[in-house]
Amino acid sequence: MASSSSAARELQKELEVKANDLSKIQKDISKNHQVRKKYTIQLGENELVLKELDLLNEDANVYKLIGPVLVKQDLAEANANVRKRIEYISAELKRLDSTLQDMEEKQNSKKEAIFKLQQRIQSLQAGKAKA
Amino acid sequence: MGEPVKGTVTSLSSIYSPEDAQKASVRVQETISEHQKQIQQLQAFLNDNTNLINLVKKLPDQLHHDIMVPFGQAAFFPGKLIHTNEFLVLLGEGYYADRTSKQTIEILKRRGKDLESQIESLNAVIKDLKFEASFFDETATEAAEGVVEIREDYVDESFNEDEATPGEDEYARILSRIDELEKEEMESEMAEEGEEEEEDKADLSHILSRTYIEPEVKSSEEQIVNEHPVSKRSVQKDAQQNLQLKDTSAFSVSKDSDLSSNIKVPISSASSTLPKPVEQKKLESLPHTPVYKNELSSSSSSTGNDRSKAFTGSIVEHTHNMEKSQTGQPPAPVSKPVSRFKLQRK
Repeated sequence: MASSSSAARELQKELEVKANDLSKIQKDISKNHQVRKKYTIQLGENELVLKELDLLNEDANVYKLIGPVLVKQDLAEANANVRKRIEYISAELKRLDSTLQDMEEKQNSKKEAIFKLQQRIQSLQAGKAKA
Repeated sequence: MGEPVKGTVTSLSSIYSPEDAQKASVRVQETISEHQKQIQQLQAFLNDNTNLINLVKKLPDQLHHDIMVPFGQAAFFPGKLIHTNEFLVLLGEGYYADRTSKQTIEILKRRGKDLESQIESLNAVIKDLKFEASFFDETATEAAEGVVEIREDYVDESFNEDEATPGEDEYARILSRIDELEKEEMESEMAEEGEEEEEDKADLSHILSRTYIEPEVKSSEEQIVNEHPVSKRSVQKDAQQNLQLKDTSAFSVSKDSDLSSNIKVPISSASSTLPKPVEQKKLESLPHTPVYKNELSSSSSSTGNDRSKAFTGSIVEHTHNMEKSQTGQPPAPVSKPVSRFKLQRK
């Protein structure tokens, strides 16, 4: 009797630990979503800029706001910069995707583990009730 | 007819409690209002944009404008705007460009178009969500009204007909779809006398006389309803339901192809993406089943004697098994029965 109750307590503890892990993973996932949203918006903006830059004449004056000052920039340079930035953001998005997938897998496995634990606890309690 | 009816009757409310369905609908409503807020914001941007375009258009009309220049938080002093045809336009991401009024207007117009397309897409999403919400509401009311789900296991019987054996599943599916069609037809005819009834029934009995199958529902009737050219009304109805159930792209595809009775696209999309929603749809249609049951069996007995032997008149509604049976079948035969069905119809 005593051993079974201690086993149940242990299982309960394990369940708590797992639940904490799961909530942590879920938090990470939502964070990932937020970051991804931010990057997607930036990507859209950059693409817009690139489109506009492509439409500019070659002799047009282009400035970049750096801190409080506008710095004059070469059109070609600005173009290259924006392209690089788009590349970077796309790569970042890809990276986020892969980590998200990883986390979702982890989440699923954790959920399964928790489910199994709950079942075990239930069966233990049922056994106790019989005894 | 005399066969004992096997199967179970479950009330819909035990599967989907009305509260849960209600909750789901409330949640969808919330997302709708969120999207509407977004649309309002975008609309405000668009208005700002058009105002700005008008201003930019007007500015180069004169060489200079007398204005009050803001100075700090609260102070203004009189000033003059000169160089009225030179604009420093923010392109985004901290990039600015020197532009003339005309060029600026072009840029602004492009932005306006972008905003409009965004609003449009949001509107489409909202439309989708609204259908979803109405579907949840319907489920909730149906569950509250005590609609029941009837399930019966499929009993494999040996068939004498050569024709029936190879594709019994297909025929069964066809029958089930005909059932559904019949029902829809009856509904529409209640409202308005349909002239196509005779023809349709003749078709049905033709199929019946050749199959001798215990009716068994293995896959969605929705598919056939979609393809059935006769019941346009039901097609429209279905298109609506599709909208609730599928994502937007799938819907647009199936809606177009419904009317032109193009088969392949709606089927593949329905069978691959719709296992659960279809189940719900079936539940929806259940209350009317008994009516049509009588109808079908009477039509079969009037056209042939052996039909009563084969057709037990008991309707098998498989709702929960559906996912199983759908996955069990390879995708190829799913489209096959339909074409056969169409052949028979012609």
